[in-house]
Amino acid sequence: MPARALEQMLRESKEDDILLRVEGLKTYFFQRSAVLKAVDGVSFSVAQGEAVGLVGESGSGKTMTCLSLMRLVPQPGARIVEGEIWFKGDNLLEMTEQEMRAYRGHRMAIVMQDPQTSLNPVYTVGEQVAEPVRLHLKERGQQAMARVLDSLRAVRIPRPELRLGQYPHQFSGGMRQRVVAAMGLTTQPELLIADEPTTSLDVTIQAQFLRLIRELQQDSGTSVIWVTHDLGIVAQMCDRVNVMYAGRIVESGRVRQIYKEPQHPYTRALLDSVPLMGTRREKLYQIEGQPPDLRSIPEGCPFWPRCPEAMDKCKEQYPPRTSLGGEDFVHCWLTEEGR
Amino acid sequence: MANRLLEVEGLAKHFRGGGNWLSSGGDSIRAVDGVSFSVEEGETFALVGESGCGKTTVAKMILLLERPTRGAISFQGKDVSSFRGGSLREYKRLVQAVFQDPYSSLNPRMQVLDIIGEPLRVHQGMRGRDLRMRVGELLENVGLNPVTASFFPHQFSGGQRQRIAIARALALRPRLIVLDEPVSGLDVSIRAQILNLLVDLQRELGLSYLLISHDLAIVEHMSHRVGVMYVGKMVELATRDEFYGNTLHPYSNALLASVPQPDPDVPMGTTIGGEVASPINPPSGCRFHTRCPIYLETNMCREVEPEWREILSEHLTACHKVEPAVV
Ligand SMILES: Nc1ncnc2c1ncn2[C@@H]1O[C@H](COP(=O)(O)OP(=O)(O)OP(=O)(O)O)[C@@H](O)[C@H]1O
Ligand SMILES: Nc1ncnc2c1ncn2[C@@H]1O[C@H](COP(=O)(O)OP(=O)(O)O)[C@@H](O)[C@H]1O
Ligand code: SF4
Ligand code: SF4
Ligand SMILES: [Mg+2]
Ligand SMILES: [Mg+2]
Repeated sequence: MPARALEQMLRESKEDDILLRVEGLKTYFFQRSAVLKAVDGVSFSVAQGEAVGLVGESGSGKTMTCLSLMRLVPQPGARIVEGEIWFKGDNLLEMTEQEMRAYRGHRMAIVMQDPQTSLNPVYTVGEQVAEPVRLHLKERGQQAMARVLDSLRAVRIPRPELRLGQYPHQFSGGMRQRVVAAMGLTTQPELLIADEPTTSLDVTIQAQFLRLIRELQQDSGTSVIWVTHDLGIVAQMCDRVNVMYAGRIVESGRVRQIYKEPQHPYTRALLDSVPLMGTRREKLYQIEGQPPDLRSIPEGCPFWPRCPEAMDKCKEQYPPRTSLGGEDFVHCWLTEEGR
Repeated sequence: MANRLLEVEGLAKHFRGGGNWLSSGGDSIRAVDGVSFSVEEGETFALVGESGCGKTTVAKMILLLERPTRGAISFQGKDVSSFRGGSLREYKRLVQAVFQDPYSSLNPRMQVLDIIGEPLRVHQGMRGRDLRMRVGELLENVGLNPVTASFFPHQFSGGQRQRIAIARALALRPRLIVLDEPVSGLDVSIRAQILNLLVDLQRELGLSYLLISHDLAIVEHMSHRVGVMYVGKMVELATRDEFYGNTLHPYSNALLASVPQPDPDVPMGTTIGGEVASPINPPSGCRFHTRCPIYLETNMCREVEPEWREILSEHLTACHKVEPAVV
C-alpha cells in the first residue's frame, strides 16, 4: 500500500467515516452600506457515502453554503470570512487556489439549479463533458473519450456516440440536466453537491434522475449534498437533513427522526405547510410574514417574529446548540430549556 | 350533477410551424387534440400533465386568447363562439385568470390601485371614491392592507404580488378563475398562504376554478375532480378520490408513482422511461405506447387510438387495456 493511502487511512479512522466537516462557516456579501450575512455560522458534517439534504426558504443561504464549500463564492462581493471546511484531513479554506483546483470538479463536484446556464451553447456536449476529464484526470484522446461515453451512458443518454457531437440546444431539458450530471460525475467525485438539480424537470423525468443518482451513489459510494425545496426528495434521497433559516442551520438530524418528531418550530412549520400526497389536510399551516433581511438580522433567534412559540428570551439571545445525540442538534430555546 | 358552468367538447388547437429549415412549410403542432371536460359551479377542476402536454393552450382557448381549431366551449349552457357585444363582455367579466409568474404579470409602472382598478374602470366605469373603496375591499379580501393601494409592484414580495393578481381577477366578481400554475413561481412557505387564500375565497364566493398544475400533491389538496393530459389528449378523468384511490390509466399511474413520497418508509414507485412524446409527430395509435409499461407490442395499442370511455361512474379513460366494469 502506498504511503499516501496508508496515511489517509489512518487519518480517516481518526475522523471515523466523516468525509466533510464544516465548522462555523460564515460567508458575507460586502455591500456599499451594509454587510449581507448569507451564511452565518454553519456547521454540519457529511459521512462517507451519505446523502445529506439542505432545505429552507428561498434566500436562506443554501446555494451560498454550497458555493462556499467549493470556494466558488461570487467575486467580487462575497467573501468567506470565517470557519473551517475539512475534507477528510484537509482544511479547504487553508488551501491555495492551485490546490483547490485539484479538488474542484475532481474530488468534489457541483450540479447547479439551472442546466441552461451550466452548459455553454457554443461547445458540443462531448467537449463539455470531457473538460473535467482533461483538466483533472489529465486524460486525452481515446482514453478521455471512453470515459465521457461511459458517463453519458451512466446518465442514460441514448446512443451517446451520436450525441457527443451535438450542441446543448439539440437536447431536451431532461437530457440537458443529465448531461450536467454527467459532467459532475465523470471524475467520480467523493462528494457531489446537487443544488436543486431537478426543479425544472417533469415529474417522470425527475423520478428517472433521482433513481440514477441513487444507483450511482450505491455503486461508487459517493456522498451527496442535496439542496431542495421538495420534502419528498429529501425523504427519498437523504439520510440526514439540515434545515436552514436566515443563514444558519437551525436543526440537523436523521430524516426519519426529523419527519417523525421535528424539534424546531420552523422545521415543524415547513413540514406542515406543504400539501403532501396521501395526507389530506383541511388547511395548510401558514408561516406568517417573511424571513428577515440578511443585512439586518434581528437580535436573538431570527425566527422569533414568525414563531408561534416565541418567548421573551428568544428576542434577546440566539439559542445555543442543543445536542440531540450523535450528530443531531437543534437551536431553539424550547428544547434548550426543556431539558 | 351539480350546475355545469363551463363545458369543453372535443377541443383542439393545431399550430403551424414545428418544421425545421429542412422541411419547408412546417408540420402542424397538435398542441391540443380533442379534449372534453366540464367545470361545475363551485368546484375546482384540475388539469394535470407534464410540460408541453397542452394545458396552457386549453386555458388560452377558454380565455379567448387562442381560437380553437376544432371543438366547442360552452358557458352556462351557451356556445361561447356565439357571444358578441354584451354577451362577450359578460363572458370576459365572468371568466378571469391568474398566471404562474407574479413578476411579469403585473405592470411595473402601475400603482396597485390602477392594476386592480383597471377592470373596474373599463367594465363598470367606476371612478374616484367608489373605485378606491372597492380596491381597498379587494385588497382586504386577499389579505393585504388597503394602504398598499398606492404602492408599485416592486414594493411587494412574490407572494404579495400573486395576491394582487388574485385581487385583480376578483374585481369583476367572476364565476370562474383559470389558475395556471398559480404557485409554481413562489417559495414553498408562501405557497400555503396562496393555496389557503384560494380555498377560502372559493368557499366565501362560490367560485369555480380551473386549476392547471403539474404538482400532484397540490392537485390532491385543492381539486374536486382531476383530468390528466398526455400529448394533447385527455387520458383520464375522475373525481379526486377515484383518481387518487383507483387510478386506471398507466400514464396516471406512472405520474403518481413518480412523485417522491415525503415518507422515508414509502419507497419510490416504478416510474417510466423515455420522455414526453412530441405534439409535432405524435405517436400513432395510443400516444402513450412509446412509454407505456403495460403495452405488449400489440398492434392494437400501436395502431388504434383508444376510445374515451366511461369505465366507472364519472370515471373516464382512454386505454385498450382498461375494461368497463360489468354493470
Ligand atoms: N451575487 C449576490 N450579490 C448579493 N447578494 C447575494 C448574491 N447571491 C446571493 N445573495 C444573497 O445571499 C443570500 C443567500 O442566497 P442563496 O442563493 O444562498 O439562497 P438559497 O437558499 O440558495 O435560495 P434559493 O432557494 O432561492 O435558491 C440571499 O439573501 C441572497 O439575496
Ligand atoms: N403559439 C404557439 N405556436 C406554436 N406552438 C405552440 C404555441 N403555443 C404552444 N405551443 C406548443 O403546444 C404544446 C402545448 O403547449 P402548452 O399548452 O403551453 O403546454 P403546457 O401548458 O401543458 O405546458 C407545446 O408543444 C408547445 O410548444
Ligand atoms: S428560539 Fe424561540 S423564537 Fe426561536 S424557534 Fe425556538 S421558540 Fe421560536
Ligand atoms: S392503450 Fe395500450 S399503450 Fe395506451 S395506455 Fe393503454 S395499454 Fe398503454
Ligand atoms: Mg439556491
Ligand atoms: Mg403551461
